[in-house]
Amino acid sequence: MIIELGHFALVLALATAIILSTLPVIGARRRDPAMMAVAPIGSLTLFALVAFSFGVLTWAYVVSDFSVANVWENSHSMMPIVYKFAGVWGNHEGSMMLWLLILSLFSALVAIFGRNLPETLRANVLSVQAWIASAFLLFILLTSNPFIRMNPAPAEGQDLNPVLQDPGLAIHPPLLYLGYVGFSVCFSFAVAALIDGRIDAAWARWVRPWTLAAWTFLTAGIAVGSYWAYYELGWGGWWFWDPVENASFMPWLAGTALLHSALVMEKRDALKIWTVLLSIMTFSLSLLGTFLVRSGVLTSVHAFATDPTRGIFILAILTLFIGGAFTLFAWRAPRLKSGGIFAPISREGSLVLNNLILTVCTGTVLIGTLYPLVLETLTGEKISVGAPFFNLTFGLLMIPLLIIVPFGPMLAWKRGDLLGALQRLYAAAGLSLFAAVAVFYFRHGGPVMALFGLALAFFLIFGALADLWQRGNFGKAKFSVALRRLAGLPRSAFGTALAHLGLGVTVLGIVAVTTFQTEGVVEMKQGSTTEVGGYTLAFDGMRDGKGPNYTEQRAHFTISRGGVAVADVWSSKRLYTARRMPTTEAGILTFGLSQLYVSLGDPMADGGIVVRIWWKPFITCIWGGAFIMMFGGFVSLSDRRLRVGAPTRKAKPVKTVMEPAE
Amino acid sequence: MVLWILFAFLTAGVAAILIAPMMKASRRLEDDREGEVAVYRDQLRELERDRQSGLIGADEAENARAEIGRRLLSAADAASKSGGDAATFRRHGLPAAFVVLCLPVVGLCLYLTLGSPGLPAQPLEARLANPGSNMALLVAKAERHLAENPNDGQGWDLLAPIYFRLQRYGDSELAYRNALRFLGETPARLAGLGETLVAASDGLVTEDARGLFERAIALDQGNMRARFYVGLGLEQAGRTADALRAFEALAKDSPPGAAWEQLVAQHIAKNGGTPKAAPLGNPTAEDVAAAQNMGQGDRQAMIRGMVESLSAKLADDPRNIEGWLRLVRSYKVLGEDEKARDALKAGLKAFPGPQPEAQRLLALAREIGVSLEGMTQ
Repeated sequence: MIIELGHFALVLALATAIILSTLPVIGARRRDPAMMAVAPIGSLTLFALVAFSFGVLTWAYVVSDFSVANVWENSHSMMPIVYKFAGVWGNHEGSMMLWLLILSLFSALVAIFGRNLPETLRANVLSVQAWIASAFLLFILLTSNPFIRMNPAPAEGQDLNPVLQDPGLAIHPPLLYLGYVGFSVCFSFAVAALIDGRIDAAWARWVRPWTLAAWTFLTAGIAVGSYWAYYELGWGGWWFWDPVENASFMPWLAGTALLHSALVMEKRDALKIWTVLLSIMTFSLSLLGTFLVRSGVLTSVHAFATDPTRGIFILAILTLFIGGAFTLFAWRAPRLKSGGIFAPISREGSLVLNNLILTVCTGTVLIGTLYPLVLETLTGEKISVGAPFFNLTFGLLMIPLLIIVPFGPMLAWKRGDLLGALQRLYAAAGLSLFAAVAVFYFRHGGPVMALFGLALAFFLIFGALADLWQRGNFGKAKFSVALRRLAGLPRSAFGTALAHLGLGVTVLGIVAVTTFQTEGVVEMKQGSTTEVGGYTLAFDGMRDGKGPNYTEQRAHFTISRGGVAVADVWSSKRLYTARRMPTTEAGILTFGLSQLYVSLGDPMADGGIVVRIWWKPFITCIWGGAFIMMFGGFVSLSDRRLRVGAPTRKAKPVKTVMEPAE
Repeated sequence: MVLWILFAFLTAGVAAILIAPMMKASRRLEDDREGEVAVYRDQLRELERDRQSGLIGADEAENARAEIGRRLLSAADAASKSGGDAATFRRHGLPAAFVVLCLPVVGLCLYLTLGSPGLPAQPLEARLANPGSNMALLVAKAERHLAENPNDGQGWDLLAPIYFRLQRYGDSELAYRNALRFLGETPARLAGLGETLVAASDGLVTEDARGLFERAIALDQGNMRARFYVGLGLEQAGRTADALRAFEALAKDSPPGAAWEQLVAQHIAKNGGTPKAAPLGNPTAEDVAAAQNMGQGDRQAMIRGMVESLSAKLADDPRNIEGWLRLVRSYKVLGEDEKARDALKAGLKAFPGPQPEAQRLLALAREIGVSLEGMTQ
């Protein structure tokens, strides 16, 4: 009965979303407060219904109710409990439910925290959110219904895809979707502003926390996904330029641009139309990502969801929302007043440059991702656009962007007199770093581009620190005074510095791994040893193991340095019994910031086994940097000014005086 | 019924929540530029901070202040103006009716097409606690028990024939072997394991299986099942006279009216003897034959699928002598001599020269009558 109640709640959620899609937007048009007031309470109701429905589905997974087809297809009674929870979104239907849950969560959050918004804006935003929710509810109910039942119920499930039976599944999709779907709020704000025909600096202030939150979660989601692919797939790579990865990376690039352009709009009342366009583009890319992954047009490591009929439906949603939003934009954007002008060398100038490069980068990735699809559709030829293309185009574009990153926060708004001095200072800093790198090169040899990359990474890191240093006025003022000044800085200043520093750390990891990693494929027998990264790896033999729903062959290795054993690691090949599907569980050892990666290949006829070993120096910096960025995002989110958005506390007394007067 | 009442309550609750804001006494639209004004005020304060920390030059700060001031003024201006144009609002009959109609209509229409209101929730634990006569559930329950107590021979003994009936031969073999290990040999277990092996190799009485049947007979001369399969093995090996003798002895020792009477009679006839019980002409025997034939098609298809997958597996990993032996034999049983010959040739290629594996392949070929020479014809 509870299952059917969950199903009915989902259907009712659709009806609620339809009501929410119409009444508030009509109310805003007629300036009717009562009809607009349906929006916040309705959004909360919608969230409650979806959350209940999602909870019921989760319950069905936890108690292994195989009368629910979705549970039977993707679960197994012997599966560890954490995967029963995570397995809910480890399949197409469930992941769409998660998408919807997060969408309605964001609507509810806007309803709760949006009390400082103008009523018409809030009503319009929530209505636009409900349009998206309606489309996805319809999609779920008609093509991907997780509540379809089976009678009689089978006795045992078909198990979750073994590749997904990993703690990564519990973390990666929720974070990624919080990012993806979070941008829907920016989209809704943009569309609402276009409907209203009014947009101003305050709008940018209201959108910023949502952009920041979405960006922060997306950063974390991508980083976790990258680490998951790194250790689970056993190929030793951390980024494959796989279309599914690109699908999450494009909204991130566009979102980063949006984050910066919203800043200009808020401070200078400029770039309005551009910011609106970016908001629409970012969420469109999120939708496109959902389409690419969910429709099954791609065949890749993530291709666990394939069904063409769904593809058509998502394509329709895509066309409706992206096409609709751009049409609205073309129609209404000319009516928006454009704001101030500014000098090319100023903080806003550098932010425009940032936007320009990020947008071109997004376009590059988009072309690289879609071109093979288009080509295959038109000519039937199957090609894959891989790392060489992206390294050449995207890599080259990123270099100038990375160079200007530290300048941005240093530059004054409008036009500063300190500019010249700053530039000279930076030129000096850059030159000295470059000189140091050159000395290193001549003494030790090595690829010079990599050294330049390292210099760039350190430039980003030191640049971020120098920003804080200068804002605190260290060196000029007394230390204690400077410290106090530093503490008095707004949190967003720390957020900026942390995010830029994190970027530097990530670049450091990328450059170090690409340049200095060593790889070996050796055939090992029990007792044989091999050298890698200054460590000696001894193969101690294989052992059979058994997990709750798999059997495995585990190989044990002892790692020693200079004859002294320093660590040991297991690396295994698993066979998941229900699906007869093998997986690799790489053995990974972390030494400081570097990692040793041991992956098992095929066993040889003579009892040996092929072992792939990588030494990956500074690889943890890649994800560590991403987490510093994420942390910066949270620090910035905690900035008082974002909540001040419109200080209701100050405004309230005015209202209370006015109301009795009515 | 309870379900429908809950549905009704849920729908009514949602409707009430959505209508409530529209039922309140009408009020004026509040001045909605207030938030904007506050943002600009905050920006002025921020500007001052930026100026003090040198993030913006003094002249520029002055300009920016003027800019923000203009925005502030226009917002405040608009706010005071908007106070006047607020209309008072009429009742909301139409939107409320829309809410009241939309919820049940959309809800019921979709739910009735998609939902299964009659089906209760079925958590696995509850079903296992009360499995009734559902074979799959009983097996699942026994499996759970054995996963926790893998040394329970009785459990394996019970499960083995059930697996066999469900055609899960691999599981059945494992269960029989465990039962034999924990509980010792009995004629029934030995014969059961043998029968499983025969079924797993598509009806062929293999060496292993024959050994098991003979051990069963050694323990109990009266194990008719084992004796039948020994006879069948002789028949398959082409030793017609021995097979006939075995089947005739079996018929003689069987009690009259035994369930296998017809089957044995068929095999006696097949090996050139004259059965006492007529294998044909008896309607029940005909029925049996018809049923067997009907199953034959499905069975054949299944075997073919298995053989194809084996063949594909061997193409990837040719150093698997057991696989080649089985493939050649399977093609022969299916009557595809051409393919059996090809498989033999491919197998010999995987094990070239005078390797023992090659000898085994050739021995099998001689035994079941696949000739290499046929290739050249």
